[in-house]
Amino acid sequence: MKPMQGKLALITGSGRGIGKAIALKLASQGCDIVVNYFRRREAAEQTAEELKQLGVKTLLVKANMGDSGKIRDMFDTISSEFGYLDIFIGNAASGVGRPIMEIDEKAWDWTLGINAKALLLCAQRAAGLMDGRNGKIVAISSLGSQFVWPTYAAVGVSKAALEAVTRYLSIEFVPKGIAVNAVSASAVDTEALKFYIREGLVKDVKQTTPVGRMVTPEDVANAVAFLCSEDAYMIRGQTIIVDGGTSVAPWSSVIEKGDS
Amino acid sequence: MTVEEQIKDIVSRIAHIDKSIMERESTFKEMKADSLDVVQALVAVEEQFDIEIPDEEAQKFRNFGDFVDFVQQEVEKKG
Repeated sequence: MKPMQGKLALITGSGRGIGKAIALKLASQGCDIVVNYFRRREAAEQTAEELKQLGVKTLLVKANMGDSGKIRDMFDTISSEFGYLDIFIGNAASGVGRPIMEIDEKAWDWTLGINAKALLLCAQRAAGLMDGRNGKIVAISSLGSQFVWPTYAAVGVSKAALEAVTRYLSIEFVPKGIAVNAVSASAVDTEALKFYIREGLVKDVKQTTPVGRMVTPEDVANAVAFLCSEDAYMIRGQTIIVDGGTSVAPWSSVIEKGDS
Repeated sequence: MTVEEQIKDIVSRIAHIDKSIMERESTFKEMKADSLDVVQALVAVEEQFDIEIPDEEAQKFRNFGDFVDFVQQEVEKKG
């Protein structure tokens, strides 16, 4: 029997990228999956098809994480289809890439709403479905919560808020038996990153990662899967960084590989 | 009100664009709508007409007219 057989995970934004990798990783361990998507229906349908081939139950739910009514509808659907939830992964993210002086209220509210407020609203509903099931919640953050990247202010602040929400949830959910943590990654090899590279905002990521290759969605998924296992029982409220060493070796961007 | 007029109302409200510059041949860029305006307009139009406009389709729109035609088709499909 696979370790997550009979469990159900909801992964927001799991039609593609990191969310898809997490869905496939958990499904490979036997977990049934609710795929949430917002704008890319074909990609989400493709993901659902790949999950079904792994032999797990799959439910596809469209919902904008920036809309509290849609979040409510999504959980109502899960409640009526399954009536329980074991794992919630807050992965869906959006954001407006602009310098500080160009961030207007609409852009700020959009970014903070999807990246930070949605974690709170989803966790509140998820907790109700995790009663007595040793639930796990993992939020996906980014190093932009701690470090400054060009035009990343709104997203970076939203990720800092997400990590703070994670810490508070982790303590307040102890009595509910729910473990809450976050996984933070540096630039991950996804479609979203290709946008930043095209815009000239990210370059030479491979060269500046001490391990010598980019972080992949699967690297992030492996950390998430660990946090969803009982082996991670005593890890609470933490943000686990998956970056190939980038954040502890900032000088790696200015020295040649192999130099001492 | 026609589908096109309703879409103009929504785009005008969300992106603060004067309806008079919304021509069928206009691109969103020409109308000075940024990517957030476009996403929010698409979402609002979806809700108004109870249809879905996935990004895979939206990326094919060359101009405002293509957007209107797609919505019109989806509304007709619904009957």
